[in-house]
Amino acid sequence: MAGPSAADVRSILSLGPSTPSQTQTPLTRKPSMRKPEGMTRELYALLGPSTPTLATQFAKPRLKQKPKLGSNGVDKDAQEAVAGPSSSGGGRVRWEWREFKNGARTDGLKLKHWVNAATDPNAEYPPAKYNIQPNVYVYSLDEYTRWLSVDKEWTKEETDYLFELVREYDGRFYVVGDRYEFPNGPQRSLEDLKDRYYSVCRKLIRNRPWAGDEASKNQLLSSFQFDKEREVTRKKYVASLESRTPEQIAEEEALYIELKRLEQTERRFKKDRDELLRTLYGVESGLPDIISDEDGLNPSAGGGLSISVSGSGLSLDTKKRKKNGGDLETPMSASSASASVIQLGPPGQKKQQPAKNAAFDALQCIVRSEVPANSNKSSHIPVFFRTLKTPIPRSAVASKVAQLMGELQICHTRLVMPTRENNAKLESLLEAASSLVETKKLVDKVELDIRVARERLGMVSENGGESGGWEESNVAGRSASAGAEGSGAGGAMDVDEDAEGEQEEGVDASGRGQSVASVRSAGRKKQQARRSMSISSVDTAATGGPHKKRKR
Amino acid sequence: MVNYGGDEVAALVLDIGTATVRAGYSGDDTPKAIIPTCYGYTESPGDADVTMGDGEPQPEGELAPPKPKITMHVGNNGPSVWRHGMEVAYPVKNGLIEDFAAIPKLISHAFRDVMGCNPAEHPVFVTEPAWNTAANRERMAEIMFEEFDVPAFYIANTGVLNAFAAGKGSALVIDIGRSTASVTPVVDGFVLRKGLTHSALPQLIEANAHHILTNPAPNRPGIQLLPHQLIASKMPVDVGMPPSFTLREDRARGTTETWRGWYESREVEDWIQSVGGVLDQGWNDQAAVTRGARHHEFPTGYNYYFGSERFAIGEQFFAHSAALAAKNQNLPLPLPALISNALSACDQDLRQVLVGNIVLTGGGSLFSGLSDRLGTELGRNFPHVKIHAPGNPTERRYGAWLGGSILASLGTFHQLWISKEEWQEHGKAIVGQRCK
Repeated sequence: MAGPSAADVRSILSLGPSTPSQTQTPLTRKPSMRKPEGMTRELYALLGPSTPTLATQFAKPRLKQKPKLGSNGVDKDAQEAVAGPSSSGGGRVRWEWREFKNGARTDGLKLKHWVNAATDPNAEYPPAKYNIQPNVYVYSLDEYTRWLSVDKEWTKEETDYLFELVREYDGRFYVVGDRYEFPNGPQRSLEDLKDRYYSVCRKLIRNRPWAGDEASKNQLLSSFQFDKEREVTRKKYVASLESRTPEQIAEEEALYIELKRLEQTERRFKKDRDELLRTLYGVESGLPDIISDEDGLNPSAGGGLSISVSGSGLSLDTKKRKKNGGDLETPMSASSASASVIQLGPPGQKKQQPAKNAAFDALQCIVRSEVPANSNKSSHIPVFFRTLKTPIPRSAVASKVAQLMGELQICHTRLVMPTRENNAKLESLLEAASSLVETKKLVDKVELDIRVARERLGMVSENGGESGGWEESNVAGRSASAGAEGSGAGGAMDVDEDAEGEQEEGVDASGRGQSVASVRSAGRKKQQARRSMSISSVDTAATGGPHKKRKR
Repeated sequence: MVNYGGDEVAALVLDIGTATVRAGYSGDDTPKAIIPTCYGYTESPGDADVTMGDGEPQPEGELAPPKPKITMHVGNNGPSVWRHGMEVAYPVKNGLIEDFAAIPKLISHAFRDVMGCNPAEHPVFVTEPAWNTAANRERMAEIMFEEFDVPAFYIANTGVLNAFAAGKGSALVIDIGRSTASVTPVVDGFVLRKGLTHSALPQLIEANAHHILTNPAPNRPGIQLLPHQLIASKMPVDVGMPPSFTLREDRARGTTETWRGWYESREVEDWIQSVGGVLDQGWNDQAAVTRGARHHEFPTGYNYYFGSERFAIGEQFFAHSAALAAKNQNLPLPLPALISNALSACDQDLRQVLVGNIVLTGGGSLFSGLSDRLGTELGRNFPHVKIHAPGNPTERRYGAWLGGSILASLGTFHQLWISKEEWQEHGKAIVGQRCK
């Protein structure tokens, strides 16, 4: 017994036969759609009923069409039967292996080749038309004796031989020169041969009766022109060019470059001179294209201009100094001030503009950086954000300086207002801090040395000078911190006195102490007390213990 | 048909070299028949072993007294097959045919036996080296017309044909063959004979390679160049181990010196072709070592990785070792000397043209790196060097044949054939007149 079918289930659920089309249509359509030939049954079954278009496109496969070769009647009929009557007709060419007569040949050689049977057997052989005889002048004995025997170096026989060779090799003089071997004749160079040949041709053209007009005759004559001397000289030049040694070639190139360089320098000098003249005399210099001044400053008085510029430059300098609180002498301000003065030195350098309105710049906080006169790529400074130029401490002491700055509660990595002045100040501050750190390091070292020396002394004299050593070291440490507080020179001197072997370093330290002092005076007085206290906490590892003790 | 100027007349092209004879139909790109030029011959008092279908015995053997019957063995089954008492002779020396007695036999074998055609039905195009003598080419024409009864004949220069095969009318053809290296300046399809230079450089290289192989090196013993025809059995051995093989004692007696010599030369040539190379930047001991070794196995079973030796061979194309030069004053000129001699004999205006159109050809030029090295060497002296070296080995080896195949199938060429009629009318002089 078969199980319940789908229809049974449907009838039980009282759904009704809702999908007869889905199951029955393929069954009904299948017989109408025949399986195309050349397709296996399995493949067709895979296609299913959904792609009827493919089946219609599936044409009956046929063998590749035969090439229509030969035109015999039997073949033709057979082919027509296969391909159908529409493809018959033209396009059939009969070829035959046929003898041909080459018109370029003087003998009766008959070679054979494949040729279209329709072509005329008596037609001229096509490549024969390329057989062109070169146009070579010939002369009679009479002509030779009358005009050509002037050149005593050449006999008639040799001239004949030359002309024969030129004819034989179609005027290829390189080959003629290679094959030229006249028995018992002198050695002839290629130029000799050319000279003789062309001169004979010219004489023949000149002396023979000429049918055309004079212009065409001259044109023909000029085509036979040959200057032997010039040709020989040219070849000599070529030979000397080829026989140069590498040193000579290098020297020539070096000389050429030197020449170019000199030319360039001269041009630049001339330009500079013109600029100078223009600056000094303006229009009166007589030079073209004087640029009229945009700022309304009178350019006619060149000398007056330079003076006024220098005056403004100086005033800027003083202003800056005032603004900076009088005693601040940062390297930046110094250089900018000196630059503004130096700008006036070479007047030809187009530096008038910034110098002229330096006062205006100072008011508007415009800073003009110096552009080097011969600006090349390496020295060129592109536009930049000043934040990028925020100074950073030297890497050797960076961590210590950072620690120091942290104690001062100064964020040195980022400036709220990175103006030029602020940048300069920060830089000087960092420099001072790092020198302070270095001084501290040095002091610690010296202290240690002193202690060691003392201990050694004590051991020698059995004095038990340990406590003394401590005292001294404390003194030194205090003096170092005192140096940081302003009396740096004195502190350094103390160190100096104590450690005789460390004189140089001591001097160095004192120098640093001074610079530190100047930093302090640069305007952070309110923090002075705190700093003087905390500076000593920037320890070097060797003497960390005692210093902390002392500070407390 | 005439679009490319070609017109096939079914000409046969024959190129006789020192190593092989090449024959084929014009218009083809490779020769149909390539057979060795050398041949073996045996003397037998009675019935000769006619394996090669050569009915006619050669009565005028130049090496042997004329009384016994001499059987020639030519073709690919000629010298390479071991025969009792077979001697090997070389009819072509330094590119020139010296023994004309064997030539008809070779030509006949190539045309009739290998190609299966009748030379009497086809015009025949023959090549000759640039230094061929007038007597030689006339003799060739005579053989063709009188013995093969060809309807038309032409003889052309290999240098010119090599230039044509490269598609150039003017070129400096550097042809390194089996026996001779030649430098031929070709201008507009004509050889400049004054600039022609050639030397027996490949022979020196082969002799040197033979010396290198047979003499013991610091890290290997001398190698026995024994023909495989004389080896009965052998066992595979590891690299560098002494070979283990047994000789065929039955053949030891009938083996001639000339056959052994032929075989050794072939073995050396095999070795050169398979491992030989040229350093492209000049000789340098380190570079030679770092370029890596190549493996080669000899018929005895001995195999070895050849290191810098293989570059020492190729180096001789460019410079002779000081030791060798001191021993022998008359060494063949190396390539740079040949080229500079050839160029200095040419006109100044031509030199740049020639150097810009260098055609490197010949089987000996298949050394790996040779064309690069040549470019390096020439680049030092000339600003614009261009070397045309076909990458296809067939084109490189049979360049002259290919050029002949091209030339003989040109429609405009057919006026240059020397016809039988002209031969009978003018005699030998026509050859020199027509084939310039």
